[in-house]
Amino acid sequence: MGILNMKRMLLLLAFMAPVVVCAEPSSQIAWTPEVLNLVKNGNLNKGKELAESCKSCHGDKGQGMKEETRDGETLPSIPALAGQLATYTYKQLRDYANGSRSHAQMTGVAKGLSEQDAADLAVWFSSLPAQENKSSSQNLARAEKMVEQGDGKRILPPCFVCHGGKGQGEKQDIPALAGQHADYFARTLLEYKNGQRHNDVYSRMRLIAQQLSEAEIKELAQYYQQVK
Amino acid sequence: MNDAAERKLALSHLWVAFIAFVVACFMGEYQVLERSGFIPALDSPSVYFASVSTHGVLMAFVLTTFFIMGFGYYIASTSLKQPVWNKPLAWGGFWLALVGVVLAAIPLLTGKASVLYTFYPPIVAHAAFYIGATLLVVGSWVWCVIMLVMFVQWKKANTGQPVPLAMFATTMNAMLWLWTSAGVALEVLFQLIPFSLGWIDTIDPGLSRTLFAWTLHPIVYFWLIPAYTAFYVFVPKQAGGFLFSDEMARLAFIVLAVFALPIGFHHLYMDPEQAKGWKLLHGIGTFVVALPTLVTGFTVIASLEIAGRLRGGKGLFGWILSLPWTNTMVLSVILSLLMLIFGGFGGIVNASYAMNAMIHNTAWVPGHFHLIFAGTTVIMYFAIAYYLWPMLVKKPLFSNSMALVQLWTWFIGMSILTTPWHVLGLLGEPRRISSVVYNNLLTLAWKPYEFMMIFGGLILLGSACLFIYVLAKTQLNPAAEAFDQEIEFAEPIHAVASLPEWLNDIKLWNKVIAVLMAISFGYPILQFFFMDTSGSSPWGY
Amino acid sequence: MQTEPLKPKYEQLLRDFYTQFRAIHIDQLERKWITISLLVIGLFVGIITIDAFFHGVNPPSKVETVDSASLHLNKEFAEDNLGVQADEKGNVIVRMVAGRYAFFPKHISVPAEMPITLRWVSMDVLHGVHIPMTNMSTMIVPGYVAEITTTFPKPGEYPVLCNEYCGLGHNHMWSNISVIAKEDWKAPVKSAAKGGSTNE
Repeated sequence: MGILNMKRMLLLLAFMAPVVVCAEPSSQIAWTPEVLNLVKNGNLNKGKELAESCKSCHGDKGQGMKEETRDGETLPSIPALAGQLATYTYKQLRDYANGSRSHAQMTGVAKGLSEQDAADLAVWFSSLPAQENKSSSQNLARAEKMVEQGDGKRILPPCFVCHGGKGQGEKQDIPALAGQHADYFARTLLEYKNGQRHNDVYSRMRLIAQQLSEAEIKELAQYYQQVK
Repeated sequence: MNDAAERKLALSHLWVAFIAFVVACFMGEYQVLERSGFIPALDSPSVYFASVSTHGVLMAFVLTTFFIMGFGYYIASTSLKQPVWNKPLAWGGFWLALVGVVLAAIPLLTGKASVLYTFYPPIVAHAAFYIGATLLVVGSWVWCVIMLVMFVQWKKANTGQPVPLAMFATTMNAMLWLWTSAGVALEVLFQLIPFSLGWIDTIDPGLSRTLFAWTLHPIVYFWLIPAYTAFYVFVPKQAGGFLFSDEMARLAFIVLAVFALPIGFHHLYMDPEQAKGWKLLHGIGTFVVALPTLVTGFTVIASLEIAGRLRGGKGLFGWILSLPWTNTMVLSVILSLLMLIFGGFGGIVNASYAMNAMIHNTAWVPGHFHLIFAGTTVIMYFAIAYYLWPMLVKKPLFSNSMALVQLWTWFIGMSILTTPWHVLGLLGEPRRISSVVYNNLLTLAWKPYEFMMIFGGLILLGSACLFIYVLAKTQLNPAAEAFDQEIEFAEPIHAVASLPEWLNDIKLWNKVIAVLMAISFGYPILQFFFMDTSGSSPWGY
Repeated sequence: MQTEPLKPKYEQLLRDFYTQFRAIHIDQLERKWITISLLVIGLFVGIITIDAFFHGVNPPSKVETVDSASLHLNKEFAEDNLGVQADEKGNVIVRMVAGRYAFFPKHISVPAEMPITLRWVSMDVLHGVHIPMTNMSTMIVPGYVAEITTTFPKPGEYPVLCNEYCGLGHNHMWSNISVIAKEDWKAPVKSAAKGGSTNE
């Protein structure tokens, strides 16, 4: 490469630098009163109609699908949506549509939904009863301790202070965790941990997940799957 | 005068106050135990914050308001020598306030109103909490109206006569409370109730903090004035002497009531929604309101000295020992003044911005207000109760020595509780935390003080139970002989023949307060309506 | 309506007030005590006022609003603009977001013995923040930017603690700040800071 090319490269990089440094916000969704009202006033019946096309993956009762191994191939679990906070579901749909979150199937699905559709669907799914799962025989004492007491040494608050004493979620958009499929839950935390998922504002879940070990994540996943 | 109705009115209010008080004391000991972290099984933020919220509401709003109402009704009728005006209305106010308390207690005790006794938004509680609190305040306004009516009626029937000091103080307090409660009433009626019911989408937390600060300082004077009233109208006679100066007492009550109001921003020194000029103005006013307390200290100690020397005390300090320390009223005032010295010193620290920055929202703050309120003020509530109970139930006090033990243990327990609490604040410990989980060496310095506080709390709890026991035994004692003594108000050493109108009426001071409030709060509140603010939506906890 | 007769009327009122006030019996000793009290109070008020006007010892003051609901979409408090920055003149500005239950960014380094301007905002409810053993203490009220300028005299590792009830996780809300000796501290290399007191 000649010096002229180098100069051109540097010039190009100099122009790109501000673009690189001005990273996109984690999400375009802000909980202004207008957006909160849009979600609150979502149309239940319209949502039910739209949700017909979600059933094939997310189940006829919004219960999602467990991880399945068929013919040596593992199909990842599909999240339960039933009983989820409407604001959270709305945000995920909008994040998919805006590119703040990406998934092979969901990105396309979300791009085909308007803001009103997303609000209607969110309200519909929040009205469905959350799943209740059987308890396993696993020893979940460590997970319970993390959920109820956190860990001061790693500056980790207890999960319940945000996600609720029964994992039911909390305003404005802290998701319900109770009854979620353990494998989906674990996958989510691992994606936060390695930054693959990054639509949490101010990296609040990424910062937490980075401090958790894989074993802890798996135990928390099992804990929340069986919380009733 | 057959005052059976007045006695029943007073007793009902006082029992509500003291039952609320002893329940809250149990919660207090639970809290200090949970906080120390020495019993891990107790650790629970949900239970802790529900307890702190309930404890705060019971002590700061229920104990105080009902005590002041009951005391006020009895003082009004005995000092003016006439029945309470419109007793059905008075009972209406009582029931309204009590219903309010019960309505607020339900969400508080079930963890649906863990917003603490300051309930700062945008965290919202269940609407029943705010509605209950409103009913309590409106019930207290009924009391204010009755006090004002009795005051005005007496003055009309006794033109030119000095209003008895006890009633003058009580009426000043009623006027003070109407002005004081307006701030929080505006906040609750126009912001918090619609907000918690979902009628409005957003509110401005800066405006809420400002309106609450309007109430937050003068309310402590609302609580304090009955204690000062006892200082002036009971203590000198009980000590065996005379009141040093009736006029200075009136002046003290006036300056207290007037300057308690326009100074709330010393609670907002660290807030971004008010400018420093207003904070400085309020800060200066805060120092002005220290003056009537200093005057009260002088007048009361001078009155005690008269009594001590009349009882044969000699020398510069010898008269202190010759005071009747076994008189519950006298013992209480001595202990109260001791706590006032340290509590007042803490208050001066809080009022000075530069020092405030070191202790704002640290453990120093609850240490301070437990010392000055639970100490100085509440010990006088005990003294008033011991003095009035025999007259209210027409039976002698069950045991004077138990009462003395109760007062001493309250003082000792309070000292052991609040001294470490102040030190924890100086060491940087935040307030309103349910446990210490910071992974920092600083927290090691905190442990011994937290441990000491457990014992202060235990002594206080025992003292509180003893207090209820003495009152209950006095009232329920079947074998007691009849008690016939009447209330005795202290006489001033210089008889008061006539007073200028402004030492005998509240009209002028009402106008002065209006002007001072307009200056101190006018622009700071109006600014919110002209600023371009983005309000907050409701949040849970 | 005639305003002229009002003036002598108020003058007469004041004169009456003064005469009546003088007529009240105030014991000599009490007079002395009141004088001493007034002098002491005057001294304290004087010190505070002089400090305020001449030494800049003032509480936080600039009333600056911000939309707390959309902070991450705001230029100044965008996720990549938080933390410690030095502007062209070398002033150190720190932008922090408080939100249940952390202070973002969770660890910052600032120089000792240099004025630091900290700008705090809340993304949800009321918070308070205090660095123990320093005067870095402020409320963080949603809807407002809390700006405070202070100097940390001693290098060291300090905790940054939330001290206003903000929910059930309040006791877990804290972060860390390293105060580095002036000579050892290097301003972070970053593109020009966006927004700030001039609020672009």
